[in-house]
Amino acid sequence: MAVKLLLENAHVEGIRYYDAYRKHGGYRAVEKALKMTPEEIVEEVKKSGLRGRGGAGFPTGMKWSFLAKPEGVPRHLVCNADESEPGTFKDRYLMEFLPHLLIEGLIVSSFALGSNTTYIYIRGEYDWITDILEQAIAEAKNNGWLGKNILGTGFDCEIYVHRGAGAYICGEETALIESLEGKRGNPRMKPPFPAIQGVWMRPTVVNNVETLAAVVPIINLGAEAYAKIGIGKSTGTKLMSACGNINKPGVYEIDMTISVEEFIFSDEYCGGIPKGKKLKACISGGSSVPILPANLLLKTAKGESRLMNYESLSDGGFVTGTMMGSGGFIVFDEDQCVVRHTMTLARFYNHESCGQCSPCREGTGWMYKILKNLEYGKGKMSDIDLLWDIQRKIDGTTICPLGDAAAWPVAAAIRHFRDEFEWHVLNPEESQRRNYGLAHYADPIHIPVSA
Amino acid sequence: MSKSYYVQPSQSGGGIVAEKVDAKVAYIDGMAYPIKEGESILAFLRRNFGPDFVPTLCDAPNLEPFGSCRVCSVDVAITANGSSKAMASCHTPVMPGYFISPHSERIQQLRKNIIELVLTDHPLDCLTCEVNNNCELQTVAARVGVRDVRYPEGKTHTNRKKDLSHPYMTSDMSKCINCFRCVRACDEVQGQFVLSMAGRGFDSHIVKGAETSFFESECVSCGACAQACPTSAISDVFESKSVVFDKKERTVCTYCGVGCNLEVATVNGKIKSIQAPYDADVNGGHTCLKGRYAFAFYNHPDRLSSPMIKRNGEFVPVSWDEAYDFIADKLIEIKEKYGPDSIAGISSSRGTNEENYLMQKFIRAVIGTNNIDCCARVCHSPTAIGMQRTFGTGAATNSIRDLKVTDCIMVIGANPTSGHPVTGAKLKQVAMSGKTSIVIDPRRTELAKYATYHLQLRPGTNVAVLNMMLYYIVKENLEDKNFIASRTEGYEDFRQNILNLNIDEMEKISGVDRELVRKAAIAYASAPNAMSFHGLGVTEHSQGTFTIMLITDLAMITGNIGRPGVGVNPLRGQNNVQGSADMGCQPYQGAGYFDVTVPEYHKKYEEFYHAKLPNYVGLKIPQMYDAALNDKLKAMWVIGEDMAQTDPNTHHVVKALSKLELFVVQELFMTETAKLATVILPAASFLEKSGTFTNGERRIQRVNQVVAPIAGTKSDGQIIVDLMNRMGYPQPDYDPKWVLEEVSQIVPFFEGVKWDELGINGKQWPVNKEGKGTPILHVDTFKRGKGKFVYNDWKESEEIVKNGKEYPYIITTNRELEHYNCGAMTRRTGNVKIVTDDVLLINPADAQKHLINEGDMVCVESVRGKVDIKAKITDEVKPGVLSSTFHFPDIMLNNITSSISDSEAMCPEYKVVSVNIRKSKGEYKKVK
Repeated sequence: MAVKLLLENAHVEGIRYYDAYRKHGGYRAVEKALKMTPEEIVEEVKKSGLRGRGGAGFPTGMKWSFLAKPEGVPRHLVCNADESEPGTFKDRYLMEFLPHLLIEGLIVSSFALGSNTTYIYIRGEYDWITDILEQAIAEAKNNGWLGKNILGTGFDCEIYVHRGAGAYICGEETALIESLEGKRGNPRMKPPFPAIQGVWMRPTVVNNVETLAAVVPIINLGAEAYAKIGIGKSTGTKLMSACGNINKPGVYEIDMTISVEEFIFSDEYCGGIPKGKKLKACISGGSSVPILPANLLLKTAKGESRLMNYESLSDGGFVTGTMMGSGGFIVFDEDQCVVRHTMTLARFYNHESCGQCSPCREGTGWMYKILKNLEYGKGKMSDIDLLWDIQRKIDGTTICPLGDAAAWPVAAAIRHFRDEFEWHVLNPEESQRRNYGLAHYADPIHIPVSA
Repeated sequence: MSKSYYVQPSQSGGGIVAEKVDAKVAYIDGMAYPIKEGESILAFLRRNFGPDFVPTLCDAPNLEPFGSCRVCSVDVAITANGSSKAMASCHTPVMPGYFISPHSERIQQLRKNIIELVLTDHPLDCLTCEVNNNCELQTVAARVGVRDVRYPEGKTHTNRKKDLSHPYMTSDMSKCINCFRCVRACDEVQGQFVLSMAGRGFDSHIVKGAETSFFESECVSCGACAQACPTSAISDVFESKSVVFDKKERTVCTYCGVGCNLEVATVNGKIKSIQAPYDADVNGGHTCLKGRYAFAFYNHPDRLSSPMIKRNGEFVPVSWDEAYDFIADKLIEIKEKYGPDSIAGISSSRGTNEENYLMQKFIRAVIGTNNIDCCARVCHSPTAIGMQRTFGTGAATNSIRDLKVTDCIMVIGANPTSGHPVTGAKLKQVAMSGKTSIVIDPRRTELAKYATYHLQLRPGTNVAVLNMMLYYIVKENLEDKNFIASRTEGYEDFRQNILNLNIDEMEKISGVDRELVRKAAIAYASAPNAMSFHGLGVTEHSQGTFTIMLITDLAMITGNIGRPGVGVNPLRGQNNVQGSADMGCQPYQGAGYFDVTVPEYHKKYEEFYHAKLPNYVGLKIPQMYDAALNDKLKAMWVIGEDMAQTDPNTHHVVKALSKLELFVVQELFMTETAKLATVILPAASFLEKSGTFTNGERRIQRVNQVVAPIAGTKSDGQIIVDLMNRMGYPQPDYDPKWVLEEVSQIVPFFEGVKWDELGINGKQWPVNKEGKGTPILHVDTFKRGKGKFVYNDWKESEEIVKNGKEYPYIITTNRELEHYNCGAMTRRTGNVKIVTDDVLLINPADAQKHLINEGDMVCVESVRGKVDIKAKITDEVKPGVLSSTFHFPDIMLNNITSSISDSEAMCPEYKVVSVNIRKSKGEYKKVK
């Protein structure tokens, strides 16, 4: 049984409420942290090796140390709970069952960063979770963990929950800040970065729900003990939300030492693929990370077994690897059509593009339209090249990473499944009746593909 | 994946070929160029290779970088042959050691693809498009070489409905490329927030207000969006961006004292459209609807086009010679019969400096009287006198550009977003930026809504509130003691007087909470740099001059004088109020403000004009009316002022003017005043003549003739010169060049002003012999040596003392953005479709008390008369206070205003009139 740092008490009865949470060791981290100095906490988080759990995997301690601290200017911590990436639902689970864990993490982090006003920006569709969080905040406040002069330390902190209004783009930290300020959720240009000018033009740290919750075990265990869990630069545990063609979809806490194969097939986690079907492909970290065919998913190009951690998943770059991303793990069996799936994602990104940058606004629309033609047997061979060309012009050319996120799935699909696209073009009628199937995608790889 | 597209160093750069990374250079195609701190890559590239080096779509000269089109992307590497990344050059700061490839193959492909994508949702009807050949999308598409669009047919937005609801603004959103330039112009330049982006992604579209039309929205028609739009998605009815024009001439706007530069396009000798030049110091690519769109008056059928003499009560058109002979004969006759002091002239602040100079020269040197005044009398004369008494110079101490560096603005008795829209927009931006802003005004003006502190005082209590502020500054020990000691005099007495102030009484009469005044005073005094602005809400009071002196006291006590971002800055009402005073159009001072009664100066003027001049002060405008009624004044020559509509107490004015034996009115239109004339002379408008205007920040700017005067008219300058010649005082034909040269010899602060050297942005006086202007006055010493503290006690206006009991309401006059004073010009443009009549602002509580509903006619009655005005119920005014405009002659609001005027400058008290109201029985009737 793997170590569980976050979800250990998820099934304790009444853990959503303060009394049970407190009884099971809740708020010990606050008690401990408020006796430390803010700098010591930041140092602990740095030493823990915690990496941002929202998708980019940026070292949290380092992000915290970038926070500007001009005299007399308030600073803010914002919890990014705008979990909207298709396939990702780990934050929802955490907030729904363990709201106090997040609140506790927020109090400790707010103290470390000097944020007296902390915001949770939550996805609009998570309306019932807003109620859960607000109740938890009220409970915490009633018990003296929030408000003025917490634990007599002189530290004041209030947490406000702000609901989004249904835009994926508001998960991007600067768009989130704009939206939080009551404006249209368009991403901001960087620089200035939020650490210098964020909410209300004040220094701001935006962190993912899971990241902030992970601060609690870091404080409780100590950075060193935390860093020992996991492997390499993938320390601690990671929540994975698994879905797709698996027997046991759900949220799993893994310690990043297990292999992808184990995660998919062991009974402790996904429990294999239903009806004995074969694995065709997988998106390992939310819809925007590159899709990998089964062969490259289970083994790296070097032939090593691929592990469920940051380094191993990204081994080989985008040519043969993918990303840990946000932990949205989507499994495809042999019956799934990659063209159709890519079209679905393109439709999503087209719908969610804010429209600010021309390449993304127009490009996502055209990717969707071309993919639709390909999927419905109206495509031409040149469309595949055009698609490749558009995604290249979107990738890395926009203000925010939504452009990249829209480009990568298309790029990876063409990169690894080009013959499936070609099959669609060459067999317009047949492709309407049946799928391309597993084809060679699970065959062992012999020669590494060069860059 | 990442492949370097780094292009080998070109040989043609002109820079230094770098060996190693230098701390202060970046490389463009391998050649090193020095960088500037804080510069964007785009600015860096443009500085070295010109404005067209990098194509852009969402970038605009007067807007902040936005980075949405991505066309400006360039390849950037941090090592010489390292891997590069495409970065938007407009918002990426250039860093030392950047290796920039602005036109690498990859970048060229990227730009081409972006434009290709944009073109998939843009109609390809270029040949029939309004902006054909002046379209940025077209230019960029041509530059990046898009030859075909590879995308299949799909849904587009090329069939959106046009919005032609507005008299000026138009939109055809089919042409929109979602660059956000209009949205940003509306936000960043005007601060109106009318335009915004709705929908997202492919559904993104520009909306006005809550998805309404230009006409229905809160649009102020400034046209910033139309000018900013790179295509024809937003434009105007004049098609300002089309290339259908013969020439473009730069000139200066004739409306308010901001002095916006205009670029006027003409076709076949007719004006087609007006745009705001980006390189104008004053307005940098912005102007308001009056400057940009309200020019149609200039060839309106109502324009007077022949001199006319009134015979048997009818105006009869006559030749210029006949009119000149008639006037000259009559003037000579009256002068011989009643003496020169029976003749008076009223010059015009709408005219050029040169024309004002000639007019006062005519009255003084040809007629031989000091009876010369101008419309500055009814607006900023107290500013001139007040500031002369305390500082020595009656002009703005600083420049508008100082708003960029100030920390606190204080706006007293001014509504700049309506009266001085371009400066108003800048002030609003300052207020919205979070800097401290203090508004002292009886009305909750647009600026007051954004202000940190709004002191909503009762009209007529400026002195009380400013004294309270001074009191708290002294009490809180916030005086700038060094400044007071080294630069001023009279402080001790002043301080004693201030400390003796009865705060309870002042609080009561002004109706402003003392704590609010205290906070505002502290904010003003503790700001590192505080800048004050004032308008006619200060001057048009019986204590106008005293209020000005208190504003200067506030600046001196806090040391806010003599550096950028501070000072006392009157917002001049008319284009050339400053200039007409500078040129000597007042009865007590000649050109250059020399006192006509001082023998030394008297002699100087006599020698300069080669004429005998009186050494006593002449009549101010209100005194002229009295003199006419007392048969002392027999002849008057007025240039471009409609006193019958705009001067207070209309009955009194009309009676006086009707008594004159000779009343010459030089006008564009048959105004209420012109109707009373004996002779009417048709004058040319500002678009039809040359000269200089001096704006509110003392900037002398060139007005250049754009079109020939319409048939039958002459410029004011030529008319004056013609009459001077008739009256035996030979002068060459009017040409601003020689007049300005003459002016430079008598007006010391014009010493170095030369017509040919003024350049496109003019010069701020004093201009020294070497031709150098002065953006900030009183840097080391005041003009008068030491700044003088003057204490003034608050005194209730006589109007209220006399009539307040019987007429318990106070009406205060104001103005609308869309109209200009008597409205003779703006009512003959499309502006009249936007604002159709004068309205009475009335508080809901008062309205309820008198059972008045929105739109009801209200009878407003003062001791002098009554008028009927349509009610507009608003909390802009407090209970007991009313407000209205006098842009329309149908209402003639000045029937009720009083003859009481400022004790020092005789500026009429338009702002405090005791009235009573009742719901009118009469139906609302419009005369025309």
